[in-house]
Amino acid sequence: MRRYETIFILRPNAGEDEINKVVESTTQIILNEDGTILEMNKWGMKKLAYLIKKESLGYYVYCDYAGTPAAVAEIERKFRIDDNVLKYLTIKTADSITEEGIEKALAAISAKETAKLDSEETDSTYSDNDDIDDDDENSIEEAE
Amino acid sequence: MAQRPQKKLFTRRKSCRFCGEKELTINYKDVKTLRSFVSERGKIIPRRIVGTCATHQRQLCEAIKQARQIAFLPYSGSTQG
Repeated sequence: MRRYETIFILRPNAGEDEINKVVESTTQIILNEDGTILEMNKWGMKKLAYLIKKESLGYYVYCDYAGTPAAVAEIERKFRIDDNVLKYLTIKTADSITEEGIEKALAAISAKETAKLDSEETDSTYSDNDDIDDDDENSIEEAE
Repeated sequence: MAQRPQKKLFTRRKSCRFCGEKELTINYKDVKTLRSFVSERGKIIPRRIVGTCATHQRQLCEAIKQARQIAFLPYSGSTQG
């Protein structure tokens, strides 16, 4: 078992159903090959740094999983066939991952998510006061 | 004679940011950090100018190239475009 992460970009005009279909089919392929999904995250619409198939926007989906090389080959074959997928990138993050490692990684990810949620909650409570400051910082960054 | 002031101009403190700040990691998904190691044109800034150490420049180079593949960073052109 190896650990991979895959990012793929879908067409901006793809509907909710089409996005879910692609995500589900990738999930299914990983599970069929006895893999485990560690994280499946829809990053949503983002601006692309350059045009891909004449699109300037893309819907990013990030997937972190433990799987076999065969699963990766199959996922990428499916992506190449699917018209909704503009581009994909798979990166191997670990050469081997054990059951223990998977559990550890899952725990780390869930801990990260709860921390994120907590910080978001605190952010929203303070947001009323911080709004003006944030705007100032942003304008400075843009000026640079 | 003319060389003296020039020398002063070019003496600048150079240090590897990744060696200095231990919590700063090189990752192709971290576009904000990578942006500061790429010129306005989208080129990777050479080591002699940014001052990163050889190990980190190598990792940085790899990360920028991966970010380019998935359209986080441009291959060429302005970073806004």
